[in-house]
Amino acid sequence: MSARRNESARRRDIVLGAWVVLVLTVCATPLSAQSGGTATTTFSAADTTDALSRAMDAEDKGEFQRAGAAYREVLQKALSVTQPDGDRIALAILGFERVMSEQGQPDSIVPLAERVLQFRPTDPTARTVLLRTLTAMARDDDARAAFLGWRRASPGDAAPYREYARLLLQRGRSLAADSVLGDAARLLGRNAALSGETAQLNVSLGRWEAGARSYREALTDQPWLETAGVYGLQRTPVAARDSVRAVLVADPVSLRPRRLLASLESAWGEPRRAWAALSVLPLDDSTLAAWRAFGERAEQASSWLVARDAWSAIFARNAGSLEAQRRAADAALRAGDAGGALTLVRAPSTAEERARTQALLGLEIAALGELGRMADAQSLLDREGKALDVRTRAAIARPLVMGWLRAGDLARARTAMAGTDLEEDDEMVGWIALYDGDLATARKRLVRAASQRTELIDALGLLARIRLDRSPALGAAFLAIARRDSANATTMLVMLADSVGQAAPAVLAHAARLMPPKDAPQLWDRIVREYPKSPEAPESLLAWARVLRDTGDRAGAITRLEQMLVEYTNSALAPQGRRELERLKGQVPPAGSAGSAGSAGGVLAPVSRFP
Amino acid sequence: MMSMIHSRSPWRRWSSVCRLPRHALVALLVAVSAQSAAAQHLLLPMDDAQRNHLKAYGVTYSAIKGGQKAEWFLNYRGGAFLLPDVPDLRKRAALDGVSVEAMTDADVAAARAEIAGGNMDAVVLERAPRIAIYRPVDQPPWDDAVTLALTYAGIDFTSVWDDDVMKGDLSKYDWVHLHHEDFTGQYNKLYLAYRDAPWFVSQRERDLATGRRFGKNDIPGLKKAVADNIRGFVDRGGFLFAMCGATESLDLAIASLMVDIAGPFSDGTPPAADADAKLDWTRTLAFVGAHIEPSPYVNALSDIDGHQVNVPSRRQPLGTFTLFGFSAKLDPVATMLVQDHRTVITDFYGVTTSFNRAVVKPGVTVLAQEEGAPWTKYLHGDYGKGSWTFLGGHDPEDPQHAIGSPPTDLSLHPNSPGYRLILNNVLFPAAKKKPRKT
Repeated sequence: MSARRNESARRRDIVLGAWVVLVLTVCATPLSAQSGGTATTTFSAADTTDALSRAMDAEDKGEFQRAGAAYREVLQKALSVTQPDGDRIALAILGFERVMSEQGQPDSIVPLAERVLQFRPTDPTARTVLLRTLTAMARDDDARAAFLGWRRASPGDAAPYREYARLLLQRGRSLAADSVLGDAARLLGRNAALSGETAQLNVSLGRWEAGARSYREALTDQPWLETAGVYGLQRTPVAARDSVRAVLVADPVSLRPRRLLASLESAWGEPRRAWAALSVLPLDDSTLAAWRAFGERAEQASSWLVARDAWSAIFARNAGSLEAQRRAADAALRAGDAGGALTLVRAPSTAEERARTQALLGLEIAALGELGRMADAQSLLDREGKALDVRTRAAIARPLVMGWLRAGDLARARTAMAGTDLEEDDEMVGWIALYDGDLATARKRLVRAASQRTELIDALGLLARIRLDRSPALGAAFLAIARRDSANATTMLVMLADSVGQAAPAVLAHAARLMPPKDAPQLWDRIVREYPKSPEAPESLLAWARVLRDTGDRAGAITRLEQMLVEYTNSALAPQGRRELERLKGQVPPAGSAGSAGSAGGVLAPVSRFP
Repeated sequence: MMSMIHSRSPWRRWSSVCRLPRHALVALLVAVSAQSAAAQHLLLPMDDAQRNHLKAYGVTYSAIKGGQKAEWFLNYRGGAFLLPDVPDLRKRAALDGVSVEAMTDADVAAARAEIAGGNMDAVVLERAPRIAIYRPVDQPPWDDAVTLALTYAGIDFTSVWDDDVMKGDLSKYDWVHLHHEDFTGQYNKLYLAYRDAPWFVSQRERDLATGRRFGKNDIPGLKKAVADNIRGFVDRGGFLFAMCGATESLDLAIASLMVDIAGPFSDGTPPAADADAKLDWTRTLAFVGAHIEPSPYVNALSDIDGHQVNVPSRRQPLGTFTLFGFSAKLDPVATMLVQDHRTVITDFYGVTTSFNRAVVKPGVTVLAQEEGAPWTKYLHGDYGKGSWTFLGGHDPEDPQHAIGSPPTDLSLHPNSPGYRLILNNVLFPAAKKKPRKT
């Protein structure tokens, strides 16, 4: 109710603003024009100013009855003159519609709208209000008659078809709307004016290809329909998506359909196709803006490879764009493409050298670190770093330290940290301690780290289970993980398991997570057999079942899940396991399954006597 | 008492044969006694202690299907089930997430004493009913509430369709379910809205082909013949459970066997001018004196449904319905059908949502109704040697269900009181001590 009032108040403010402009305009009109001795009676603002103000004031206060009477008064006065003012009539009838609807008396609107139409048969506002009211009251026959009346009064006008089709679509009467739009196409011979409604209709009827075609057509002169197109067409079933793609990529290549397709592909989980749709656009400012928007959305969605491509494309067309170069290299680095990142930061640029160093040096060092070229990274920093301010140098220290760690050189990592903020950084100090095998310090510092990265959470989980204060073997295993040497890390963790007592299943489970899924079952099997009472046992069975399911071994997956549910009934993972089991057994609908279109028994949107 | 007698026998045998020291024999006695006092029964509570009410029916069904003895404790802890404590059932319960409570003989005796003293009763469930659901074989299992419930609970069923019914295959089953089929052959008057939809076109073509195979020229002719076969199944001792539009349309089809009530879009001719007067209500199951809706443009078959959801000018809002309480000892059938952990349930729409009281036959048992409303929700009655239950509405967990709505995922509603009503009907035929089916 309050939302409706707010909306009502907002509309009232707009109307009031329009009214003030109108009054000022009227007042500015030379008096001679008003009193020029003409015999024609003209409308005087003073006649209705009070009534309209009273109406709006009452509506604002929620006194709808009083507002209704005032709006009615405005209309009566406005219609009693020989040259009624259409704008004022529109304000009054819309106001009357609002307040009567608020009072639950929509039937009062009909006679008033009809009276206006006696004087002004083509008044679009009165026609729309009448049609809207009759449709809302489910007076389908009368609504149909009102539509036909409007059509007769305004032959050649697309408005009656548009308004009526919209109302029918809102009420779910797609086929009735189809007939109306079909009539419009036959009688008016120009479908373009109604292409937006046609597009919505096609989508509501599941005519996906036709819907895509209509939206493509509508976007030519109604660009605001792009969002509606995304919402409408993203429900396209997988089987029909290629037909939608074919429509939107067809020649001639133009921005809006391509942008619509890119949004759809993103919604369908196809970021690579999304970028492909945009990448072939002819270059101009609009294309660059579309690429930039796409790049930003890809970053938000962590689709780093396509973000790299989008920003690279922008940079290639604008070599002076340091921002594009930086974002492209950053995306490449995050996507695991360190070589690509290095190429990007070293690409020739027209940007000023100092700004370039400031923006790109950290990325270049990080890329070199990822590639294991720490000597190059260090010499680069020694060469270029002097020109940097303190803040930038501090920002560069982290990738440098991480690079040395990745190279397995703890001493150089410590040296790189010296004199920087990183010496006080709990996470960095904690990691170094862990790699050193100093579990006590690692436990103390890592728990204070601000980050919530997965590897940090995993490390903390393991440290909580292992009671030792010192374990160089565990440190070496984590250092191997930092070096992305998961094969060695796994071997070390498995060897370590025998010496960590009750933490053995946790260490083995950690090792299993690092292994390729096809190799992990041997460790899960060991956990379940040797440590059946550990919390890792049900977790192992669940992970094992998922791997079996993904490789098509349904029976094996069911066996593991059943074992988990029977032997670990009270495990916190039991609900997840049960859900997986129900899906495998077909006891619940598969994810994203379609509705019951093939049923003749659902409750349906109302079907009335028309057409 | 039985367990005590059994426990003495090993005591004597072991003491004489093994000649164990006295304290060892005492220890052995304690161990054996403890063994005999260990859990021998599993109680599946059906009150709020139950984590998954719907799957509890599946566990019970699997017990009786496996030849185990099961009992239904009516009105005791929400209509609990008592099963033997055997590994298979424990495993099934654990897999399904069904709460079980181990009970000794003494616990069971105490429960029986409580049952004897109140409006409660224990009903033995004898054998698993053979279940058929009237639905196209190629239809996904997510389209009607009963198929959903049985699939989720893990209760076996067979799909039967017009060919099977016309060939007399219903005699192979004890229990048949109908959902939203329109047995008047008018497709719930969806012709105008969906005539171009591919699913509607293929459905119509399929039914016309079936009709031709059985010498029926149009769909109303075929569907009425199917309805009459279903009536015969009940008459001969079968149990029928119908929901949604099948309730209303089945009786209308039976009443109109000799008169045309279908619109021209379905059989090419308008309904008979005096169709209402020619309806024969003597052979129907639940309704009498209803008036058909002759207009092909009004999405209603008759005035049986109180809610008329598909006719905007007549649509009634949803409320809640209340289950009646019955005497468990005097009226066990009705009591079984309303076992639930809730007595007031949120209503849900369907092609037929409810049944106007004015057209319900005298003698029909009303199991649930909306307080102060002129309609009822849930009906039961006997017919010939069989019986039937009608439940209005389409899906208890999708109150506003529309064509194309996503399917209901029952794992999100494991405690659904509405779905329990459906599952009560599945187990109810198992409780008959002397199946009356011929």
